[in-house]
Amino acid sequence: MSEDFKNNKEIHAQSSETISGGTGGSAPDLDYVRPAEVSDQDLYHGHSFITKWVFCQDAKIIGIQYFCLATFTGIIGLILSWLMRLQLGFPEAAGFMTAEHYYQFVTMHGMIMVVYFLTALFLGGFGNYLIPLMVGARDMVFPYLNMVSFWSFFVAVLVLLASFFVPGGPTGSGWTLYPPQAILEGTPGSGMGIILMCVSLILFVAGFTMGGLNYLITVLQARTRGMTLMRMPLTVWGIFTATVLAMLAFPALLVGSLMMMLDKLLGTSFFMPTILKAGEVLEYGGGSPILFQHLFWFFGHPEVYIVALPAFGIISDLISVHSRKNIFGYRMMVWAIVGIGALSFFVWAHHMYVSGMNPWFGFFFATTTLIIAVPTAMKVYNWILTLWRGNIRMNTVMLWCLGFIVTFVNGGITGIFLGNVSVDVPLSDTYFVIAHFHMVMGIAPLMVIMGAVYHWFPLVTGKFLSEKLGKWHFWTTFLGAYSIYFPMHYLGFIGVPRRYFEMYDSPYMTSAVGMNEFISLAAFLVGAAQFILIFNIIKSLKTGKAAGKNPWQANSLEWLTPIVPPEHGNWGDRLPVVHRWAYDYSVPGAKEDFITQTTAPSEVTDTKVEKT
Amino acid sequence: MSDPKIEGYEFKPGYSGMAQDTASDQTMFKGVHWGKAMMWIFLLSDTFIFSCFLISYMKGRGSTTVEWPNPSEVFGLHVFGVDVPLLLIAIMTFVLITSSGTMALAVKYGYEKNRKMCGWLILATAIGGLTFVGMQAFEWSKLIHEGVRPWENPFGAPQFGSFFFMITGFHGTHVSIGVIFLFIYAYKTFAGHYDERKRGWFTSMKGDYVEIEILGLYWHFVDLVWVFIFAFFYLW
Amino acid sequence: MVETDKKEQTTTHKIGIYLWIWGLLFVLSFFSYMVDWYQFQGMLRWSLILIFMFLKAGLIMAFFMHLFWERYALVNVLLWPMTAIACFIFLMVAEFKYTLFTRLLYFFVGG
Repeated sequence: MSEDFKNNKEIHAQSSETISGGTGGSAPDLDYVRPAEVSDQDLYHGHSFITKWVFCQDAKIIGIQYFCLATFTGIIGLILSWLMRLQLGFPEAAGFMTAEHYYQFVTMHGMIMVVYFLTALFLGGFGNYLIPLMVGARDMVFPYLNMVSFWSFFVAVLVLLASFFVPGGPTGSGWTLYPPQAILEGTPGSGMGIILMCVSLILFVAGFTMGGLNYLITVLQARTRGMTLMRMPLTVWGIFTATVLAMLAFPALLVGSLMMMLDKLLGTSFFMPTILKAGEVLEYGGGSPILFQHLFWFFGHPEVYIVALPAFGIISDLISVHSRKNIFGYRMMVWAIVGIGALSFFVWAHHMYVSGMNPWFGFFFATTTLIIAVPTAMKVYNWILTLWRGNIRMNTVMLWCLGFIVTFVNGGITGIFLGNVSVDVPLSDTYFVIAHFHMVMGIAPLMVIMGAVYHWFPLVTGKFLSEKLGKWHFWTTFLGAYSIYFPMHYLGFIGVPRRYFEMYDSPYMTSAVGMNEFISLAAFLVGAAQFILIFNIIKSLKTGKAAGKNPWQANSLEWLTPIVPPEHGNWGDRLPVVHRWAYDYSVPGAKEDFITQTTAPSEVTDTKVEKT
Repeated sequence: MSDPKIEGYEFKPGYSGMAQDTASDQTMFKGVHWGKAMMWIFLLSDTFIFSCFLISYMKGRGSTTVEWPNPSEVFGLHVFGVDVPLLLIAIMTFVLITSSGTMALAVKYGYEKNRKMCGWLILATAIGGLTFVGMQAFEWSKLIHEGVRPWENPFGAPQFGSFFFMITGFHGTHVSIGVIFLFIYAYKTFAGHYDERKRGWFTSMKGDYVEIEILGLYWHFVDLVWVFIFAFFYLW
Repeated sequence: MVETDKKEQTTTHKIGIYLWIWGLLFVLSFFSYMVDWYQFQGMLRWSLILIFMFLKAGLIMAFFMHLFWERYALVNVLLWPMTAIACFIFLMVAEFKYTLFTRLLYFFVGG
């Protein structure tokens, strides 16, 4: 085993002169950075194929593993949404689909997209790849735990997909899994389906906890010399805060799933009230269905921000790099992220206005919900002010950023509608809600993911993605997504209910049928457009333009590794030393329009750079 | 522990120290081992799990229209012809607090590199934990014998049995996991793995006596949860 | 703060402090047991239970888990999230009262 630890050095307490005081003449104490507090990380270097690529302990490989598996489940979710749209738009063409199938597809689409796709992709994928690089660590602090984290995610996905093949199929109770119907006969998948769903969620939470501990401790305790919290790129802030939320919110989901499993398997009545079924009283009695809703949304609302906050962070970095300007109001952005994160624990019951909870709660939760709009709006203003008079590069990444801002504002404003009790009551369980949350936490984060893929692909592979294909991808996705969700607001206003398999002879049938067909066609198109990206990735891996070092002329550390793409251990012999924030773009007096985080102050004495 | 010494960094006390630590580079928790910070954050997450359990219990118990059984009678023992309320629970509490104390001393002797003393104290803790689990098994079997089931109970609201078995079961699982690790760590201490800084079996990270403090944090947390379960389940 | 310095090691605390806390925990546990023994009822019972519970929890966290000697950065990170739990408890108290009210109203009074 000993040769696995070649890079195993003891403390190097380097003085600042040996690293950054190179340019003679200027005062060395200008560049002074405290010596390292802890010794260099002890890394396990795998040699075999298995330890290098399968049970790998390198956060970057784990990140790619997470990314690929999450994308795979995401494609399954996409196919399910196609099937749903086929049923809604062209019911006569979807003769093979029963109402049970439809509900199962709705449920699995929702759960896969929110938990197994977006959460896993942002935190598992981007988090693993970017956190150690951006804070200047060699790896995550517990590489072994990180590996176990991915493999429990893997098992969770297997269990989830296995539920398609058990008797009764996957659960069809909606992604919120509300009891009592989730575990009563008559709901599709009320047998093995719901059990496997709960098991899968518990595995996911366990795996995520292991990963989340890694992200948190890496950010808090393993930053490089000079990297203060207020010098971290906003990407790290977003992922970090989202991880904090996940660590505190997932327990409620775990408890809820566990109790529902006991209700199903042992016949306890945590969530099950006395129920009459076909004239007979069931064995259940005395439980409280609304308790599950509280537990679920105590998890579920922070979950929305678990998806949104990394997106906020990443988009801030992309906008700043591609408009060559520092992010407007960096500290405000950080505090907004932290504030949104903290507030997200006090708003959960705005999902339950029509559930029959204590009526006074509406007042409390409407207030807190509207308060959360303040930091969110601040972030939107800051993105726009970052773009203002910037030197904007109109490339694919920037297009995705602009697409995100528009979509997010749109979805956010409908959120203010729904946050008010009196507006929400007529609108809840209509397509307005579908339109709202797909805009704000479906399409908007997806745009960020796409932008991030185009931005960081050169880092991961050393090749550019094709800009031409990228623009096709963007425009079809952007216009298509609007064609899907914009009409849905209208459907909601005329009262079309969500989760209905078909409209039968209701009045909605006549007025909404054309629009449903249009939405379905747009959905098929947008779904198909995503395969442009997959084609683009495969093509660019083979024939893409070589990117070289720091192709976007960015400041943050991930572009500054000695070898690109970065190898295991990230930094070669010496960890980088950080002297400034990641946003010194277009500084007056500087030779180039960017000053990297590792540039020592003595090298830029004649510029108007501010101390950060 | 007390403030460590860090080159080029002067510690301030209290809230100004907190601001200084938070604003500094490299680490936010100065001198705190990665594993120890991880265990603290994990325990925070675990606190939320137990809080959710206990909140569910509160909601379930508070909203039931059926009478809730009197825990003082249900958990009473009949010894030597006298009914003693909560006798077994009192002994269980005593055992768990004892084991928490031995663990705290084990951490202390670990940091003093007193290998033998540390090992014996960990072993004592493990045995205390084992006794606790055994008594819990006895309590469960007694209740099951009396007809209490997760789905029903002869004394009143069926949710009593549900919440009792779920929450004490979840706590007992924590204790059992802790006991397993205590035995492993006792072996590793006696074998001198922490003195030699031998690499771990799975993680292949170098051993250190700080691992005993990390395990100690977990064990004290288990004790802490029992304090809440004792108050809300048996006394309330 | 009671501390003894060991060579090239982190400082540890005197054994006395652990024994004291240990003893206090036993005494407090005994007191909370006495609450049940003497069958106090009503507000007195609940407040005594809570006081002893929080005292015990505080002692374990502060001394056995060394939180008393940790820096405020760690202590605050650990304690602030509890506000979310406090809010959850507070609201669920209101919720169970409402659920009980509706149950009594519809099951027994009959709407």
